[in-house]
Amino acid sequence: MVFNEKIVNPTELKHWEGKIELYWVYTSGNAGDEFFKALKEDKFIAAKCKKCGMVYFPPRIYCEYDFSETEYVEVSGEGSIRAFTVARLDKNEEPLEKPEIYAIIDLDGTDGCILHLLDEVKPEDVYIGMRVKPVLKAKDAREGKITDILYFKPT
Amino acid sequence: MSVGKKDITCPPEAIGTPVKDSDLKEGKVTYVEDHPDIRYAWTAGQAISRFLKELKNGKLIATKCNSCRRVMFPPRMFCELCFKPIDDWVYVQDTGTVQTFSISYIDPDAKPLPEPIIVAVIAVDGASPKMGIMHILDEVKPEDVYIGMKVKAVWKDEEEREGAITDIKYWKPVG
Amino acid sequence: MIMEVEKIKGLKFAKKQDVAIVGAGMTTWKRRLNETGKELSYIAVKQALEEAGLTIDDVEMVVMGSAPDTFDGLHMKGEYLLDGSGGSDRPYMRVFVGGGTGVFAPIAGYWHVASGLADVCLVVCEEKMSSCYPHPQSGFKYIWDPILDRPLNPNLIWIFALEMRRYMHVNNIKHEDIALVSVKNKANALDHPCAQVAEKITVEDVLNSEPMALPVRRLDVSPPSDGAAALIMVAPHIARQLTDEPVWVDGVGWALDTTMWYNRDLYFPRYVAEAAKMAYKMAHITDPRKEIDVAEPYDPFDYKELHHMEGLGLARKGEAPILTREGVTARDGDLPTCPSGGLLGVGNPIAATMGVKACELYWQLAYRAGKRQVAKEVTTGVCQAWGDLMQVGTVMVMSNKR
Repeated sequence: MVFNEKIVNPTELKHWEGKIELYWVYTSGNAGDEFFKALKEDKFIAAKCKKCGMVYFPPRIYCEYDFSETEYVEVSGEGSIRAFTVARLDKNEEPLEKPEIYAIIDLDGTDGCILHLLDEVKPEDVYIGMRVKPVLKAKDAREGKITDILYFKPT
Repeated sequence: MSVGKKDITCPPEAIGTPVKDSDLKEGKVTYVEDHPDIRYAWTAGQAISRFLKELKNGKLIATKCNSCRRVMFPPRMFCELCFKPIDDWVYVQDTGTVQTFSISYIDPDAKPLPEPIIVAVIAVDGASPKMGIMHILDEVKPEDVYIGMKVKAVWKDEEEREGAITDIKYWKPVG
Repeated sequence: MIMEVEKIKGLKFAKKQDVAIVGAGMTTWKRRLNETGKELSYIAVKQALEEAGLTIDDVEMVVMGSAPDTFDGLHMKGEYLLDGSGGSDRPYMRVFVGGGTGVFAPIAGYWHVASGLADVCLVVCEEKMSSCYPHPQSGFKYIWDPILDRPLNPNLIWIFALEMRRYMHVNNIKHEDIALVSVKNKANALDHPCAQVAEKITVEDVLNSEPMALPVRRLDVSPPSDGAAALIMVAPHIARQLTDEPVWVDGVGWALDTTMWYNRDLYFPRYVAEAAKMAYKMAHITDPRKEIDVAEPYDPFDYKELHHMEGLGLARKGEAPILTREGVTARDGDLPTCPSGGLLGVGNPIAATMGVKACELYWQLAYRAGKRQVAKEVTTGVCQAWGDLMQVGTVMVMSNKR
């Protein structure tokens, strides 16, 4: 039976190499646009549900639980660390020049968090609950992306 | 609330914010661009590995199922209708008949091609009727191609063949 | 010899309860929309809930239909779209059969309610093709077999061109007759508020438009679009509380054919015929041409509307172009087909085409289609979608009488 032939020489089996050559452009959406435009003016905005009062960060145009509309509110952008991790290797498993600290930061006045880098602090000094505030790029260098926030640093 | 109402039109309005390519370039709306590096190595499987090896030798091979008596091309390790392993390998000829064809003016990224190319589904002689593959036609003018035309494969030179479907450069009319 | 296999044998159609549709919604469809996928889903769902008179708390389960992740560039698109589709804190699933998703998602919603697992099921479909560069068509490069097809640099339009040529050859049809479909649908779409490419054109415009892969020309093709659509399916006792005349789902069917499309004869869509057989059997329809009042077959290309009409049994093989030429398929004809303007007139956001197929059929049967409402009295209708490598047929039959 042909199917049950034993393959004695694995190099007989061939493979075919290829690439997926696409690239993507993601628009930020209506709420995302509002957030990045406010960020260019040094402001952080979140979205508050008109019905249940839940404050979403990053902002959205709808409340996920009761599906009613939201209104934009301003928040300070400062917060406290909920969790963090220190990366010492890059994505190709080569050691990084300087270890990178990623943290999930609970933003004051919202029910949401932001994931971002920490800097101007040594990894061993970071602790859960530490207060941090954002450091933004120079005003004319801001492009409307999350990288307009360079990192968060301890207050 | 439109419960039970008859005199409304649906959809009531068209909500959404159209934007143009120029709006993105001019920075009217924010966006992020991502150029990933995604690479693959697909295994050909037993049947197609043998098919590619035979292509390197300048031959076409098919498989046979003894239950439904079909000779299947391109070859596969199981008959998908009887749902059992195939029984034998069979060589088929490198001539065939055009089942359908098209003249393409655009490339896969929707940009215009310098020269139009003729693509066809060719039913290969020696396999069951209508067992075809897709390939390119050449050495013929687009207006002379017709369904039912007999064609023959034009192979690359032996040293250039690498065990790929492109070892056949194109098919040309015969007779 | 090629073996013809009888696929549908003795299916049991036991169900716990009937299924009715009480609300639908859709966003506008354009080449590029600023909203994210989540926001688009939210807009469509909100519209559907408003029409039905329900709130999100009444929804028990959610089905999301969305075609390849390649367009949005988001792995696990179903999970990404969850919060905008009302999927938080309730059973949520994603279904996907390529272009057939437009009718397959409501079929999956049907399973939820007919089985008795839910009394209210929300069905959402969303698509954002504009994120894909260099062109959404490039995403289709990856449906071809990597070893046998891709080295030849094939273009998506090739498959349709090859199928169209075969259809024209076997049935002896001229391009002029096929172009009439494009003229009809683009004109019908002028009455649709969400349309992207509605315009008044003539047969000459179609035959003189830019050749893409002959015989397919630019005005034979539907454009890529961004958009979303939503539907609400409920159990009978809930439908009767909300409205006096709900629209009932009478039959569903789906079937797929092999990916080895070059081993098949392309002139007849066997997969649509198999799916239609299943749906008609469930709906007790024996003569589709007489019993169907309005049809929404899938029309990404003009010849596809004719191809699918024959597959659905609405015309004999080769007869569909004659029906078009005689005006039978116009909005004031005996068998209005694609009264919404279809994909050729409104747009083609792959899965979200539910908006002009299932949603439109519901609006026609509920007499809420406004200027698009067909002239004759309608009782039963059929909608159909198609997808992948010319493989998928999904069919749904609805009626407004019990």
